[in-house]
Amino acid sequence: MELRALVGLAALLPSGAFATEYFTAAQVQALAFPDADRFEPRHALLDAAAQARLQAPPVSQLAKGQLAYVVASRQGEVIGTLAIDEVIGKYERIRFAVALDRAGVVKQIEILSYSESHGQEVRLAAWRKQFAGKPATAALQVGKDIANISGATLSCTHVTEGVRRLVTALAALRAAGTLA
Amino acid sequence: MNTLPLRRTAICLALAAFAAPALADPASERALIERVDRLARELEAVKAELAAMKASDAVSAAPVAATSSVAASEPATVLTSYGEINLTVPTEQPEATQFDIQRFVLGFQHRFNAKTKLISELEVEHAVTSADDAGEVAIEQAYVEREISDRFSLRGGLMLMPLGFLNETHEPTTYYGVQRNFVETAIIPSTLREGGVQGVFTLGEGYTLQTGVVTGPDLSSWDATSTDGIESPLAAVHQEGQLAKARDPSFFGALNWRGIPGLQLGASAIGGNATHGTPGFPTASYLLWDVHARYSPGAWKLSALYAQGSFSNTAALNAPLVGNPTLFPKRFDGALVEAGYKLWQQDDLSLEPFARWEQFNTGRRYADLGAGLTPARRPTERVTTLGASLFLSEGVVLKADYQFFQQANDADRLNLGLGWSF
Repeated sequence: MELRALVGLAALLPSGAFATEYFTAAQVQALAFPDADRFEPRHALLDAAAQARLQAPPVSQLAKGQLAYVVASRQGEVIGTLAIDEVIGKYERIRFAVALDRAGVVKQIEILSYSESHGQEVRLAAWRKQFAGKPATAALQVGKDIANISGATLSCTHVTEGVRRLVTALAALRAAGTLA
Repeated sequence: MNTLPLRRTAICLALAAFAAPALADPASERALIERVDRLARELEAVKAELAAMKASDAVSAAPVAATSSVAASEPATVLTSYGEINLTVPTEQPEATQFDIQRFVLGFQHRFNAKTKLISELEVEHAVTSADDAGEVAIEQAYVEREISDRFSLRGGLMLMPLGFLNETHEPTTYYGVQRNFVETAIIPSTLREGGVQGVFTLGEGYTLQTGVVTGPDLSSWDATSTDGIESPLAAVHQEGQLAKARDPSFFGALNWRGIPGLQLGASAIGGNATHGTPGFPTASYLLWDVHARYSPGAWKLSALYAQGSFSNTAALNAPLVGNPTLFPKRFDGALVEAGYKLWQQDDLSLEPFARWEQFNTGRRYADLGAGLTPARRPTERVTTLGASLFLSEGVVLKADYQFFQQANDADRLNLGLGWSF
């Protein structure tokens, strides 16, 4: 169907150079939803007002007014969604994924790639676990409900902001009934 | 979406053009009508699907074609900068009030390929540099980093040593106070940089190890007639990559643990022989080490650091210098505790008051040279700093603080500063 996004998430990702790719898009969706038997790539366009509210940096797909995501399902039943985006840490790109459960609560986040010289502690499971269980209404802000990592402040702050943007955008899709 | 009316119009025009020559045949006319009906039904189905994909006021459906614009190349070279412009008002000596462009730093990072990049910073201190001015131009860092694996990188060149909190992360937006703290200025001479090679190991579970072999200070450059060695013993003999004597290497290591979000525990050390076989100088070494902890629960940022430096064989080093004002200390050290709190935040604006207490002694102990010859220990200075940082954005900060000196209490001062970093 022409109007349905049939492209995979990987095709939607920016082409910037990364020093290390820890996960591909396919690997991270399998990691987040090991029980899923189907991943349906979808794509939506932000309207101007939403784009302005999200204040995404230029490297983010949201800054182009787009939201690529996948809907994970098992035996025909939706079990969650996953989106991948990018932020700048201090000087370079960080690619990350946010997986939400069926109710829109953060299930986990993963760092797909990181190339800064400092601050790669954002990859630590202990730091990423702080996001698990956070609903769309959570502050998702370093210094409030997300603890900082000394020496990785910019990476922590920008990844957290990126997660909040994706959670907000996906919550809007959910509210519109398009994630069913 | 405004694509639907355009699509329907286009289909109707196409059908009209296709149908016109066939209308004379009744069978063809029926077939055409059925075809139009079928297309109309499909069009309605498309319309319904499009409506279903529309989000409320935040997100709406879109054709896939737009995604091609997501792909973007990034520049291989990134320009960076930080700077500090300060006003210092000694309240007991207002005539000494001073405005200074303390640091203006330009740097660039260039990525040669996915695994190799150059990091550099060129610093101008005190605005003007010439034979008659106090300014200084220096390469603060210039090294190439090669990623060997996702857990190991190698660096080579002139690098900031991973000591304490400030030495590697020294931009004004990253620390409290208009001036850098005294412990990480007088004891750890931030920004201490050395030339050599460094390995950075990400060990897992939050441990990071940095270790390497680099140049060190040149103890033979100690000027006993100057007060430089009193202000900061190691800053008085550092070489900073300037035609540096390199016969005696220094070795360094730093281990930091960040396994619990918000907590950092770390220790570092650098040392080695440092007289480089200079004729007339006895062999002597130095050691500088620190332990540090930072905890950031919620809006708080709590820090503590202890640093100690020492020179060996100072009795022999000082023997020919007796009678001069500044002899080699056997030991120098300092400690600080600091608490900051993000009191207010609105969008990019935030206000963070802080308090810091520190003590330091650049001549804690001297080697025994005999009665009447051994220098007296220097008094321990204790400084309390109260102030606040007002961030105008993540990269711009206005700072104000007041510093109380216990020993040199006529040096109490008000500091105002503007800093940036990007």
